[in-house]
Amino acid sequence: MATRTGRSLLCLGRTHIRALGLQNAAGRVTYATEEPANHQSRFTGPPDRRNKGPFAKKPRRNEGQSRAERMSVDQDWTAVYPSAMPFRANTVPLPVRMGYPVKGGVPSQKRGNLELIKIPNFLHLTPAAIKKHCKALKPFCTEWPSALDTDAKCDEHFPIKVESTDYLSAGPSVRNPSARIVHLKVKLSSLNLDDHARKKMLKLVGEKYCKATDVLTIKTDSCPLRKQNFEYAMYLLTVLYHESWKTEAWEAEKTVADMEEYSWEESPSQKNLLDILVRMKVAGEGEGEEVREQLLGRREVQEYKDSVTRLKNEGDSDSTMLQYKEAVKKVFNL
Amino acid sequence: MGPRALVARSGHKKYNIIRSHLPQTPSTSFHTATVFSSTPSLVTVTEEPDVLYQKVSVLVKGHDRAVLDSYEYFATLAAEELGVNISKVYEPGKEIDRLTLLKSVHIFNKHRVQYEMRTHYRCIELSHLTGCTAQVFLEYIQRNLPEGVAMEVTKTTMEKVPDHILEPMWKDHPVDDKPSQ
Repeated sequence: MATRTGRSLLCLGRTHIRALGLQNAAGRVTYATEEPANHQSRFTGPPDRRNKGPFAKKPRRNEGQSRAERMSVDQDWTAVYPSAMPFRANTVPLPVRMGYPVKGGVPSQKRGNLELIKIPNFLHLTPAAIKKHCKALKPFCTEWPSALDTDAKCDEHFPIKVESTDYLSAGPSVRNPSARIVHLKVKLSSLNLDDHARKKMLKLVGEKYCKATDVLTIKTDSCPLRKQNFEYAMYLLTVLYHESWKTEAWEAEKTVADMEEYSWEESPSQKNLLDILVRMKVAGEGEGEEVREQLLGRREVQEYKDSVTRLKNEGDSDSTMLQYKEAVKKVFNL
Repeated sequence: MGPRALVARSGHKKYNIIRSHLPQTPSTSFHTATVFSSTPSLVTVTEEPDVLYQKVSVLVKGHDRAVLDSYEYFATLAAEELGVNISKVYEPGKEIDRLTLLKSVHIFNKHRVQYEMRTHYRCIELSHLTGCTAQVFLEYIQRNLPEGVAMEVTKTTMEKVPDHILEPMWKDHPVDDKPSQ
């Protein structure tokens, strides 16, 4: 496609078949407003029609050389196509052909070719033109701060990310209602939360938190303007933060089913293990709290506790099952 | 606001004079670091801190792949010239919308005609842009968007944690004993 013009132009000969037209000896373009030397004065009556008849055509003026043929190789192309303009066959000096060919033929030539006019062209955006424009635009740009060259540093100093989208298309209206949507993303590790506050925040937020990346996403689209949605998102974040630090009276009623992580203390697994060990008389004769305390202090029992906690929290996998097996064998001396 | 507004107006006035020579110059006044004292400059400096964009993603959609190819070349060259970081340029898969309609106005259900609309995509992701640079680059890109091509720009701004989220407020204002509603 003739989208880019290079510096090398192909100088065309006069290949057009114009059987009737005469070529100007001097190679000058004849304009409609210019008056040739032997032109009759306009007001001397109707033209001479003796030989031709009532419907004869006016003689066509000479076409002359097209602009493309008179262009020099080192001209400034940005002056020929300074802005977006349709394709003009006698302005673009390239031998372009476009269109579906007839049977046994080639695509049609560029002269009078509608396909070349229909398609958007980039003749005004040659590399030379782009460089010129950017040189003029460069003073308006600012430098990125050099201290923030990696993403990690950006996250450390600016942990909150706000995403929004702008839409640009041709249509009856410039506005797009989806442009008001704002996504606010923040890593919970960058907020000042203690253990209880973090757990409460996760419960408050529910689906909006991604455990793998530790990112909380708040999507707001209830207000009509983007600015309003952004302010609402910041308000939600503030409220979540402060509410998660609060401890309500009813939070004391938290049951084992509400716990986020498994803890081995006061669990059926601990009770069962200690009962079995006491009945096996591992620590010698005796019942009661002291024996249980002593048993808990043992290394094998601690290992068993670690393996069970890991199994419950992380789920079944090869390494967790293996660890559990080793711990059981050690506790019961198998 | 007074002095800033004056400065903006004078910048706009100077732009009008030079308009004929630089048709692509953006029309609003921008913030930048340097101000030349000898020649009258189009550039104005303000005290407002610049927005920082961690990522700007430009997605162009069109019916013609060749047009998008050329536009991508233009956009990437412009980004390089303006010193913008390009993180990646890729082509998401095309989407084809097909529909089958009756060929005739009345009856002849067995004879139908099928149309399809193909949408090609191209995505240019830029990273680490300041607000001024983003404005300049995007305005340049958008003014030269060809006919029949649509664009979506997704910007990711970076913000500091606001002061009211640094510490919980209950330390200074202890909570009442009555439960919340």
